[in-house]
Amino acid sequence: FKDDFSTSPHLFTPMSPYDSELPIQASSQLSQSKELHTDFSSVDLSFLPDVTQDKEQNLSEDGDETQKELDGSLPSKEDSGVFMDESSLSHPGAAQPSPEAPGVCPPLTPMTPITPVTSASESSGIVPQLQNIVSTVNLACKLDLKSIALHARNAEYNPKRFAAVIMRIREPRTTALIFSSGKMVCTGAKSEEQSRLAARKYARVVQKLGFPAKFLDFKIQNMVGSCDVRFPIRLEGLVLTHQQFSSYEPELFPGLVYRMVKPRIVLLIFVSGKVVLTGAKDRSEIYEAFENIYPILRGFKKPS
Amino acid sequence: MAARGRCPECGSESLVEDAHYAQQQLVCAACGCVLSEGLLTTTYTDEEHLREVAYSQSTGQKEQLSRCLQRGIRRVQDLCKVLQLPAVIEETAVSYLQRALQLPAFHLVSLEKKELLGGCCVLVTCRQHRWPLSMGTVCSLLYAKQELFAGVFLSLQRELELSVPALSLADLVTTHLSSFQLVQPTANIPTAFLEDKEKLVARTMAMVELAGETWLVTGRHPVPVVVAAAFLAWQSLRPGPRLSCPLARFCRLAGVQLPPPAHLRLRELQDVLLAMASQLSWLRGFRLDRRTVVKHIGELLQHRLLLLKRAFSQQDTALDKDSVSQGCQDGQGQQDTALGKDSQQGSPSAGQQQRGGTLRPLLPPCLIHPRKRLQAAAPSAAGAALTGDEPISDSEIEQYLRSPEEIRAFSRAKAWP
Repeated sequence: FKDDFSTSPHLFTPMSPYDSELPIQASSQLSQSKELHTDFSSVDLSFLPDVTQDKEQNLSEDGDETQKELDGSLPSKEDSGVFMDESSLSHPGAAQPSPEAPGVCPPLTPMTPITPVTSASESSGIVPQLQNIVSTVNLACKLDLKSIALHARNAEYNPKRFAAVIMRIREPRTTALIFSSGKMVCTGAKSEEQSRLAARKYARVVQKLGFPAKFLDFKIQNMVGSCDVRFPIRLEGLVLTHQQFSSYEPELFPGLVYRMVKPRIVLLIFVSGKVVLTGAKDRSEIYEAFENIYPILRGFKKPS
Repeated sequence: MAARGRCPECGSESLVEDAHYAQQQLVCAACGCVLSEGLLTTTYTDEEHLREVAYSQSTGQKEQLSRCLQRGIRRVQDLCKVLQLPAVIEETAVSYLQRALQLPAFHLVSLEKKELLGGCCVLVTCRQHRWPLSMGTVCSLLYAKQELFAGVFLSLQRELELSVPALSLADLVTTHLSSFQLVQPTANIPTAFLEDKEKLVARTMAMVELAGETWLVTGRHPVPVVVAAAFLAWQSLRPGPRLSCPLARFCRLAGVQLPPPAHLRLRELQDVLLAMASQLSWLRGFRLDRRTVVKHIGELLQHRLLLLKRAFSQQDTALDKDSVSQGCQDGQGQQDTALGKDSQQGSPSAGQQQRGGTLRPLLPPCLIHPRKRLQAAAPSAAGAALTGDEPISDSEIEQYLRSPEEIRAFSRAKAWP
């Protein structure tokens, strides 16, 4: 199917901006297992060579045709073994002359694009665990902090130290900073839903204290995750090869600070193999960042 | 203030440039006759009387530089003089300082931070020219707080987009050891403790390389590793009289400060050496401990490449084809492949036992001795099913509110500001 390259360049053009980052959006309709994974906790990338990597729009017409075409071309594809050939993979499907009725395709849930690893067999199989979520919400009313501190058991207020009430609840175990303007910051939750529930509980406490608190503009501001790659890492080597992203100052901090550009995440990498990822607004950014860094770290696994 | 020429009235040559209030006058010192008076403009001939002033001493240059920049430049120049840095480092550091102070990120910071900016520029330049200078040294010279210095250093690196190479331990060894007083003969150091600088430096470098290969350096402060390595190297060069000298006394004799982590690094290095010593057949009979292994450091360093492969279990081992035989067992080559799976389990494992116990894994110490951590509760299934919109019961919220009696008690205690 390499010849199809020349015969249908117009179909290939929309793909070219995405050459470096091939969205795996249509995999759900073509995988042998029909499960849709909205989070990447059990992404099994081993099936990827069997599916086309074309964009959703191009496939919505050719959906069925693509599948038939690829099932036939499966044996030859397995031989190639080079994952980056996905762009040519799309051609059997895209070059089909007659578009089929789209009614046959199941509705596609667009999956967040993830940058593919160099080969399917190297996917890490490790999932970063979320450790902390920071969110903000607007209670939309002016608050009397002294009154709150007097009437609530779980509140501390020391205006000389900090101009907010620090309130804690036990379930979910979180801490909130409540300001007199009515804005509130909620920290310590382990998932987005927990953070939202906790913020609602704080708002309820404030309501019960007599203020007309609302729950406006709840937004997750930061997510922190951590995981363990289970092998030691040569930080000195990593800072040499990825100098423009890394900062390793053993005199200041024992870990290496890696500022990833896409997605915009900061990773703290330690010699023990533990990795902390922070700066994410969405869970998928943490997973994506880890999948990006894992092959880089594997390169520094060799002992001595 | 003597001027040339003769007084037209008395003929004396003692002419003086003087001023009558603000008006310049050329007066004869003998008779007081005024030869000429100051003019608003000077002619070309008059300007011959004027003295030259260098631009750097005139007010012109100072007016162009702001006071904080002047202070910063002076600080940089003083630092370079104290550290005896070459002129190119000083010039580059001054240029970085000028660039940095123009940026809003540094123009508006506190004076305390501006004081440190000069030191940071010097440090960055030294790193770029591979001149080993540790942050501890600069902080102590500036009387700076480590955290503040760290913050200014990192923001300088970010704002000026400089690539700062890492501090190389090999260079640090050379400069650190040259400040040791044990390499120069002085009155209060016994002759048994004096050491030749070249030999000490060479052996310390080898020890530091060994520490680097066995994961003792990554993530750790570099100076304590260098101190511990120097101590072991110094002891091993003449073990007889020096074995009984503790690390603290060594640092006192050398005239350097003993960094607190040096004891831990020393212990880790000694453990590594013991593991390596267990692989040398002629040392196995000695029953070495941490102190006595120092006597054999010379041999251990000589064969360290081979010993590292043999003494530490590796996850993916490569067959050691060119094993230098030092009484090595015949099962050596098989040993490497037989890590768990081979049919020749019998002899290699027997050979392994003969070597004196299980092999230590080649891992950083934090993985060999993991600290007990509170195991975070794994996200439960109930937690995963949370939607965030669950109903909140009143009783749960009321547990967080004070009862009226409590409120009365608190108000009475007047605990509120």
